[in-house]
Amino acid sequence: MSVPASQMWTVATYVLRQKLRGRPRYPLVLMLEPLFRCNLACSGCGKIQYPAQILKKHLTVEQCLKAVDECGAPMVSIPGGEPLMYPDIGRLVEALVARGKYVYLCTNAILLREKLEAGLFRPSKYLSFSVHMDGPREEHDAAVCRDGVYDQAVEGIREALRRGFRVTTNTTLFEGANPLRVREFFDAMMDLGVEGMMLSPGYSYSKAPDQVHFLRKSRTHELFSTMLSNPARRWKFNQSPLFLRFLMGEHDYECTPWGNPTYNIFGWQRPCYLLQEGYAETFQELLETTRWEEYGKKSGNEKCRDCMVHCGFEATAVNETFGSWRGFRETVAVTVTGKL
Amino acid sequence: MSERDETLEGWEPEVGPDLPLARVIDLAFDYRGNTTVIKTDGSEVHGYIFNRNAGAPEPFIQMFDAAGAGPFRIPYAQIRTVRFTGKDTAAGNSYAAWLRRKEKEQAEPKAHDSEAR
Ligand code: SF4
Ligand code: SF4
Repeated sequence: MSVPASQMWTVATYVLRQKLRGRPRYPLVLMLEPLFRCNLACSGCGKIQYPAQILKKHLTVEQCLKAVDECGAPMVSIPGGEPLMYPDIGRLVEALVARGKYVYLCTNAILLREKLEAGLFRPSKYLSFSVHMDGPREEHDAAVCRDGVYDQAVEGIREALRRGFRVTTNTTLFEGANPLRVREFFDAMMDLGVEGMMLSPGYSYSKAPDQVHFLRKSRTHELFSTMLSNPARRWKFNQSPLFLRFLMGEHDYECTPWGNPTYNIFGWQRPCYLLQEGYAETFQELLETTRWEEYGKKSGNEKCRDCMVHCGFEATAVNETFGSWRGFRETVAVTVTGKL
Repeated sequence: MSERDETLEGWEPEVGPDLPLARVIDLAFDYRGNTTVIKTDGSEVHGYIFNRNAGAPEPFIQMFDAAGAGPFRIPYAQIRTVRFTGKDTAAGNSYAAWLRRKEKEQAEPKAHDSEAR
């Protein structure tokens, strides 16, 4: 695993503090969406489907920081839309770094080189570019519906690494993903020199009876166990090993959506990053008034039935690592042996 | 991500015993396009409904108007109906539709593939 020791220490002490305080629900990663606008239009992306006046809007840096302070999570992920299109992205990142937040700036990297050359960011242990890479060149370009994006992303990654930035990749895998091709892709990312990779199964709720294409739980287990069994020693994952083992079917966790709360121009999204069932005006209101019992596997909610996405379950895995001896031992064992 | 392939675009529902206002508002909240809120006093607000809370002591919707101003809060009690007047930006863009397109693309050899042969 590749999470730096200082970040691991921050997360561990934060989780232990929450436990000592007896907080049943606490945030781990704030998903901060300053805008929905994007320079790609990937089919199937639910983030960009808004009328023009909504796509033109964005949060102010002050609104972003208020949300960050209100929530208190030690890590902030900035997805979008495309955050490099946010006019104040440099100022926002600088303010977050100054607050000691570990920032993952999730980008398709089309603009990365340009923004780095413009001197918008300074390397810091707190800042990682998390580059959207949905597999090898052909698969990635097909997923984002534009040829050449994989090469642009690679160019952006190289430039960021050359300038001393932390770079990770984030990969969503859908039905039909070829485990062998994905393993080759892991090798290619390690050859590039990225710090670590993040994986999540593609999941989308459908009311339609035809759900054959979604990554159902059993299929997710099959895909991830084929892909991750006998992992190459050089592969580094920038995420909880227990979450990866959960994807492989080794654990059966319950979703903890409050672990990755989402804030955007509409407010605090209920109940999770994936579902939009309404908004609260404050983080406290989100925690107190969302009917959490209606979500997750135990609830029987059909929208959650096959969901295994990182924004619902990674916080559960981290909680297990730092909240139980068994979880801690298992995490250490995977870290030391490199065997998932 | 919306999975609806059919669209409510253009729908002008009449609220009545078979179609309660709360149901129309739920559908308008799920709709990825602008709508026109017809108020009980006859006035209209055109824009995007991004939130609704039917469980609040005074149920309300929240919206940005068509110019992006807002958010405005309108109580259910002041709403007669909602018309689905704006373009449905999610229509044909569902994940299921994407997968169907992808399958079709894979089934049909690309133009440049056949040229190369
Ligand atoms: S890059 Fe991300 S936000 Fe932009 S269209 Fe693609 S999936 Fe959506
Ligand atoms: S299981 Fe959790 S993360 Fe997944 S859709 Fe349900 S509430 Fe959201």
